Formats: sequence, structure tokens, C-alpha cells
Amino acid sequence: MLSMLEEVVLLAVDEKTGGLRSTREFATTYALVGAVFFDLALARRIDTDTETIHIVDTTPTGNATLDRVLSDMAKLPDKKTVREWIEEIFHRKDDLEGEALQSLISQGILRHEKSKLLWIIDVERFPPVDNKPQQHVKLRLAHTILSDEIPSTRDIMLVSIAEPCGLLHYVLSESELAGRRARIPGRGRCGARGDGSGH
Amino acid sequence: MIQLTEESRSGWCVVGVRGRADAEAADELEAALRSALQSGSKVAADFAALDYISSAGLRAVIQAARAAQASEVEFVICSLTLPVKKVFDMSGLHQILQIRESLPC
Repeated sequence: MLSMLEEVVLLAVDEKTGGLRSTREFATTYALVGAVFFDLALARRIDTDTETIHIVDTTPTGNATLDRVLSDMAKLPDKKTVREWIEEIFHRKDDLEGEALQSLISQGILRHEKSKLLWIIDVERFPPVDNKPQQHVKLRLAHTILSDEIPSTRDIMLVSIAEPCGLLHYVLSESELAGRRARIPGRGRCGARGDGSGH
Repeated sequence: MIQLTEESRSGWCVVGVRGRADAEAADELEAALRSALQSGSKVAADFAALDYISSAGLRAVIQAARAAQASEVEFVICSLTLPVKKVFDMSGLHQILQIRESLPC
């Protein structure tokens, strides 16, 4: 199973060009940070409420990115508020995105292409090798919003991350979204965390 | 610390939840709600004495609500205290789960 961070990065890949979409730059960065916290909550390593985040278990998860963040968090016991932690992890945006891309490449889902724009500017693209994982994430998002089923904790988290950074618009049209706004949990604010099973 | 009770009232199985629903208590809460779903009655989770709920507590409630939906058992969450209501509202779960201001029985 892909991590939430990998799923968010995968959603940000334009399936036709392999370019990374960053429709709202800061929002996308926050989405990556949120994904890491959700991953740690799904793994039952942290618990959170509207104000604070705290570690409940420092046992490594087996995911290198998550374990690095968890280890760093454990070294900073004075940081407790959601705001402090978001600011702390925010500065590692490039690491988070790069590690997730590398993981997706090593899993055979994306490939890495480098080219030059006007012979000067480096352009990196990540075209999908296997479209199924991205389609699977999109289908889950669409189902969460369009169906009347109670979604899994994981899918609630995914929607609450995808919406504020504009990634839902690559999954559903504005007219499809219009009538289903109430199904978009949290609009990126809190979400629910800690479903180890993902269902 | 969480305290859980279960009683039958007018065709409903009422699970009383008191204290804090956090990472430490989440599994216990989920187990109590799932157990109530096995009673054959409709289930009401009474949160009138629940002071605090974290993301782990929300997960327990979502899991129970999903189990109820899968087995076609009516499951409602009732009498949210102000701090707990704030969490449900912020997370958007009030739009997805059945929440009532008071117990149905």
C-alpha cells in the first residue's frame, strides 16, 4: 500500500506530461506536511486534536521518511502545538516530495525524465509507467465524495488533503463537486487520524 | 481514561461514554461500540459525558459507524459536549455521521 504522502504526490503528477502540478504552491506544501502527519497517525505513532500533536509510539514504521520525521519529532519534546509542528515540517517540503517521488520511481509507478528548456533551464518530469495506482487513488477520492457510504478514515484524510490544494479538480468536475461539498470532510482542517487498517 | 456503559432502552442499545477518547482509549471505545452493534438493536452512542476526543477517538467512531452501515444497523451519536462538537464540526464528520442533539430514547 502506498503511503498518504506518496498518494498525494502521485495525485500531483500530470498523467499526460509527467509534470508536477502545484496549483496553489503553499497549499501543496501544506498538503505534503499534512500527509506525513496523517501517515504517522494511520500508523498509530502520533495522536492529535485541534490544538496539539503528540507522539504515542516511537517504534519505527518501516517507512524511511516517516521514521525520520518521527525520530526528529521525538528529539523536540517542547514542540507540542499543531502550528509548531506544521512550521517545523514545512521546511522539509523538498525532502518529502523528493523522497516520495523516489519511492514511486523505485516501485515502478513513475519514471524520471530530465530535459532542458531553452538549453538552459533544467526541467524534471515524472511520467507514469503504471497508471493503475494513480487511477486507484482518483477512484477512491471520487467514490468518497460521490457515494453516500461512510468513508474509511484513510479516505477522509485523503480528501481533506486533496481539496485545499486544488487536486480534487483533477478528479471531479466543478459540477460534480458542486452538489457534494458537504461530503468533503474538514476542508483540510482537522480530519480523523489513526486508522491502522485504512478501512 | 474512559468509562463505558451499555444499557437497553426502548429498542435502542445506549453506549454511555465518559472521560477522554484518545489514543489510549480508542480501541476500548471501538470495541464497546462494535459490541453494541451485535445486540440486534439500534445503537446510540451517548457522548454527554465525553470531555475530549482526539483523532484516534474519531477513528474509533468512524470505524464503528462503518461497521453499522455495513450491517445495516442504525447508529447515532448523541449529546455532544461543546469541545467534542467542535472537533466533529472541524473535521466535517457532522456531515457524514448521524449526530443528534439528544438521545432518541
